[in-house]
Amino acid sequence: MIQLHNLAVEFDEGFQLKHINWQIEQHQHWLITGANGAGKSALAAVLAGYGEILAGNTSGLPCNIGWVSFEAQAELIQAELKKDDADILDVISLGTPVREIIFTAEIDTTVAQGLIHKFELNYILDRAFRKLSTGESRKVILIRALSCHADLLILDEPFDGLDSTAHTLLQHHLAEVVQHTPVVMVLNRFDEIPEFISHIAYMEQGELRHQVKREDTQAYAELYQLLHLKTTDLQVPVADTDNVIPALDPQQPLVKLSNICIKHTDMVLLNDLNWSIEPNQNWQLSGPNGSGKTALLSLITGDHPQCYTNDIFVFGYQRGNGESIWQIKQYIGYVSTALQWEYRVGTSLRNVIISGFYDSIGLYSRSSDRQKQIADQWLALLGMPNRGDQPFNKLSYGDQRLLLIARAMVKHPPLLILDEPCLGLDDINRQLVLALIEKICAARETSVIYVNHHAQDRIAGIDNYLALEKSSDNC
Amino acid sequence: MSNNYFNTLPLREQLEQLAKCRFMHMNEFTDGVNALKGKKMVIIGCGAQGLNQGLNLRDSGLDVSYTLRQSAIDEKRQSFKNASENGFTVGTYEELIPTADIVLNLTPDKQHTPVVTAVMPLMKQGACLSYSHGFNIVEEGMQVRDDLTVIMVAPKCPGSEVRAEYVRGFGVPTLIAVHENNDPQGHGLALAKAYAVGTGGHKAGVLMSSFIAEVKSDLMGEQTILCGMLQTGSLLCFDKMIDKGVDAGYASKLIQYGWETITEALKYGGVTNMLDRLSNPAKIKAFDLSEELKVIMRPLYNKHQDDIINGTFSRTMMADWANDDINLLGWRAETGETAFEKTVAGDVEISEQEYFDHGILMVAMVKAGVELAFETMTAAGIIADSAYYESLHETPLIANTIARKKLYEMNATISDTAEYGCYLYNHACLPLLNDFMKDIDTDVIGRGLSSDDNGVDNARLIEVNEALRSHPVEAIGATLRGHMADMKKII
Repeated sequence: MIQLHNLAVEFDEGFQLKHINWQIEQHQHWLITGANGAGKSALAAVLAGYGEILAGNTSGLPCNIGWVSFEAQAELIQAELKKDDADILDVISLGTPVREIIFTAEIDTTVAQGLIHKFELNYILDRAFRKLSTGESRKVILIRALSCHADLLILDEPFDGLDSTAHTLLQHHLAEVVQHTPVVMVLNRFDEIPEFISHIAYMEQGELRHQVKREDTQAYAELYQLLHLKTTDLQVPVADTDNVIPALDPQQPLVKLSNICIKHTDMVLLNDLNWSIEPNQNWQLSGPNGSGKTALLSLITGDHPQCYTNDIFVFGYQRGNGESIWQIKQYIGYVSTALQWEYRVGTSLRNVIISGFYDSIGLYSRSSDRQKQIADQWLALLGMPNRGDQPFNKLSYGDQRLLLIARAMVKHPPLLILDEPCLGLDDINRQLVLALIEKICAARETSVIYVNHHAQDRIAGIDNYLALEKSSDNC
Repeated sequence: MSNNYFNTLPLREQLEQLAKCRFMHMNEFTDGVNALKGKKMVIIGCGAQGLNQGLNLRDSGLDVSYTLRQSAIDEKRQSFKNASENGFTVGTYEELIPTADIVLNLTPDKQHTPVVTAVMPLMKQGACLSYSHGFNIVEEGMQVRDDLTVIMVAPKCPGSEVRAEYVRGFGVPTLIAVHENNDPQGHGLALAKAYAVGTGGHKAGVLMSSFIAEVKSDLMGEQTILCGMLQTGSLLCFDKMIDKGVDAGYASKLIQYGWETITEALKYGGVTNMLDRLSNPAKIKAFDLSEELKVIMRPLYNKHQDDIINGTFSRTMMADWANDDINLLGWRAETGETAFEKTVAGDVEISEQEYFDHGILMVAMVKAGVELAFETMTAAGIIADSAYYESLHETPLIANTIARKKLYEMNATISDTAEYGCYLYNHACLPLLNDFMKDIDTDVIGRGLSSDDNGVDNARLIEVNEALRSHPVEAIGATLRGHMADMKKII
């Protein structure tokens, strides 16, 4: 039995959990839920031994824990990125292969092999971990946690970033695991709650406000309501009239990709793909993990090296004819999990939003008063008024995402690319984001490309669909 | 046969060239990449610098391709894969050099003479040859055809950073220069500026220097404070701790990660800030130790600078090149066998502050090394701006490599030239500090001062603070970090 008694815990960022009284008995499986920044992940981290205990005490914390979280994933990726900086002059680090990341000493090889087989991951074992897609690296983290003989499994948003096949596989696997291992799960989407969850903990402002038994249907419904607060009327702030993006020819498509082929040494990712995006069209892009969604988008944004070897027409430029990527990027607003990982700069919330005017990570230009005003309007819209001077890297994961969405929208770009924008957001903020996207789609001045696994996240104004398959052919 | 170019110049010109270094204003780059638009840029070599500079230049709208030796292409070596997998055209010297308007030589120093000798006859009339280090021109006296323009563009960061900062919408500090003997059309500066814009360097700050100032200051910095002092310091501090019974795993970790942690403070606020991280008694202790170290080591710094200025260093090193790198490889193996190198960092928690508190001697060594390198360079006629970049500014970059894989990583990632100089320094410095180390105990390395008395004499503390803050490296550092902060408001 795990007990947290009158616990107060402080984390690095100064975030505190207070008055935590919680008891996890054998055969119980808990869900921790609550709004972004409420302390859900922090409470889970306490079970894993993180944070500095200021008051109260704990007992019965198991020592061997399987832990899956965005933080754990980001930590591993950052460690890998750091290795990549490892050259002062002329060495290119190849990165740690997935095989080494998974098969460490404490891993049950048979279980891990089984999961690799189930997830069909044999093909990535020899690749560098940092080269994996978001979904692939998430699966690697899952396999590590599920194969380490854990006494307690802490699964912080385990389904995020997984395609529906992987989602179902994991659900099935967990149904077996819970027979012998207690699970504490952090989810901000109530509709994903697995059958085996027996208790729910609701966090708010660092406190454990409600504890509800699953079988108590009345209390359960109220908790659900609490998470589904209606959003108020949203007014999207205007663009910066002092810095207008050069106009586009309305007769030409925004994007025209012809016979696209992306190949790596060991595989063909996309083969002979054609895609046109006309002005005012909105698109939903879907496909399983590793089907090349992000690669396809990076051809449009100019972030993929093979955009110079393909037939790409974007915003009036045929790529590879002397245009710079900044001329392309000025027409695009972009949000993705990868962007959030790359946005590791110590700057203020206001500057993060303003950096959207310059397409930079961090702010390197003097900003105008007008831009500051617009940024503050966005902060108010996101429910963060008067927080413009706070540091971005101290925000919760979900709040960071909201900020990056505002950053992408701030210049009212002709094309807005939202690569799984709801990943890691709670219900309330997810609704806020979806409402924002709907408003932008409805205004028809920005075309949206929306990438998402969740079928129920469909947006009202989106009527074009592109679905990618895993390619196996040769170019 | 090579002929040291610097030594052929009269003293007046030597001094004039050494003193060149100016922080350029943002408005000097309003022409963007125009001087290179539509020109064919061919890069020789596709290592980290070659690849990442090429990616940036291409993303800035410039026409970039790579030329490699036939054998590298036939055997599909890593350099070939780097270039072709990123969608660049790759060809042999014969295929691509004759088409090039500007040839970017991004190979290691040691290959410069054979590479430049091979490509020069293939280059078209009036083209431009670009370097990112001036060794070949200055120390080997490479004579470049009269019709060719010769420039240097040197990003002052590893290749991966050059790319990462560009993608963020920024750049890395960059040094540019024009070889005045080879600027027949007078457009060398325009090309160098456009190149710096193409890699994003103009956003982070560009220093206009000369081939000579770059070589003489770069060599001095890398072999003394940057690599030499850190290597010697690592070996001495480790052996002392073991001798005094400090746990070997702890000692290994304290040094491996200590350099990185203490020089991070140096990066943000110079020597002053690094010492301000110590308690008052520890600060005074570090100050006194560094004063003592400076007296002992000054003749060594002078010797290194003299040998670099008069060409003794490069001549000796090139003799080793000609001798199959016998000394270099021997010293490399020797370093791999040292106790510090062979002791794995222990699984112990060391807090950020503890690296300072238990590493007072390391702080003293960094302070002494930075100040001596700076003082020696400026005394030799190198301007303060150059001296700052080649001493204090780059120390944290090298310290990071030690944190990764100790001295092995440092020596594997720096250039062969830097590595050679580092060993020279180390062999001279170890015996030099023999007597000094005899009096050293764990209060300054390994365990920290005893905490029962935190008191200091006011007058002495004021004196020390004053001395720290008034050193010339602090004045120029404050100015240059100010320029950088103006441009990089995120810090």
